[in-house]
Amino acid sequence: MKAEKLYENNDHTWIVFGRDEDKPDLIIDTNQYMVTSKKNSLLMDPGGVELFSAMLSAVIKEVPAQKITHLFASHQDPDIISSLGLWDLALTDATLHSPWLWEGYIRHFGMQHIEYEGIPDEGSRLTLDEVVLEFIPAHYLHSSGNFNVYDPKAKILMSGDIGAAMEEPDAPMFVEDFDAHIGKMKMFHQRWMPSNKAKNDWVRRVRQLDIEMMCPQHGRIFRGADVKRFLDWFENLEVGVLGGRR
Amino acid sequence: MSEVSSNYFVAAASIAAKLDYATKVAQRLSLTASNARALTLRAGQSAAGFRPLTDAIHRLSDITVSSSKKINAIAAVLSRMAVEKYRSDSALKYFDAVYLQAQGSRHLDSLSDVYERTKLKQKELMTQYQQKIQQLTQELEAVEGELRSAVVLKVLCQIEASQAGATYQDALNNVAENVENIAETIKEQIVFSRQQVAILQ
Repeated sequence: MKAEKLYENNDHTWIVFGRDEDKPDLIIDTNQYMVTSKKNSLLMDPGGVELFSAMLSAVIKEVPAQKITHLFASHQDPDIISSLGLWDLALTDATLHSPWLWEGYIRHFGMQHIEYEGIPDEGSRLTLDEVVLEFIPAHYLHSSGNFNVYDPKAKILMSGDIGAAMEEPDAPMFVEDFDAHIGKMKMFHQRWMPSNKAKNDWVRRVRQLDIEMMCPQHGRIFRGADVKRFLDWFENLEVGVLGGRR
Repeated sequence: MSEVSSNYFVAAASIAAKLDYATKVAQRLSLTASNARALTLRAGQSAAGFRPLTDAIHRLSDITVSSSKKINAIAAVLSRMAVEKYRSDSALKYFDAVYLQAQGSRHLDSLSDVYERTKLKQKELMTQYQQKIQQLTQELEAVEGELRSAVVLKVLCQIEASQAGATYQDALNNVAENVENIAETIKEQIVFSRQQVAILQ
């Protein structure tokens, strides 16, 4: 599992974990993100059961396990949070932030110790020491209860499945040629995202945020001008379309 | 008879299912006893010797129903414990993999408490699990012992039926056959369950 620092200042750091070389072939590759402040860490979309050992191994290279006090699951999918039952045994004092809508479902992954903090539909904030993170609504993109995480200070948007691409496991971490990248994103967005109305509303709201990096849960990270390119492309894309298999 | 399961939490669930079936079959034994009692009343003096036997069939039915329910409940608890044990076992397996993969990591020690706690939980679960298996074995043995009396009951029923006169003889013989068949069906569930217990241990 590779780990790459995306941002660092006095308050906090952002790290992306992904491109696991030992990942079983038939499971989709995922990116996991971690924000670490002075005393706390937030693990975002920590991944599936199959990735747990690799993920925990990568995390404790960066921070002690006890420092992970918060988890975030953008929605209920297995590649997002099916490792919950194992994190539940590994973490001594942690809270999972996830859409209120999915609590009864996500608990099926096994949760006896971790506390569930349901995020209301309109979104909310999480303060990690001196760092304030915003849970931005992204409902129906693709899940009916779905959030992104925005860090106004680092200017990073963790966008979950929005911006996701089907990539090879050894693909670079950042988008280098946006036009060439479109082919890897198009079917994913058309097929998984069900609502043009929800999509356009999200684009309108996200355009108002100051974003230097947009970090999806699959594929590559968008930087600088590629963020705007993505928003333009996504706005013009018709979604809810039955596409063919890759 | 279904194939014996090779997976311990499936084995526990299978015992629960088999004993649930055994309970339903044992309830049929109660019905047989009630029918036999009605028959002996109609037959009057000619079937007087059969009456105490219907009490014995009722008693066998009550014991079997109550034991089957008890075993079913133990197996259901065992099934839940087996899943919990599986979770603990697999968590330790994942943690062991972390120790291998993260050798030399500066925060590897931060997992020690979690590892020890999970290991302790696994040990406690194992002790409780073994106690439940022992309890289950004793209950299965007890009900199997009770079912042995069904053979004797059948023979006694046949003897009494032979003295009851032609009108009721077939019906009373039928009761004797029913007692044996039902007891045999329950016994099959018990034998299967005992084989499954071997997987649980």
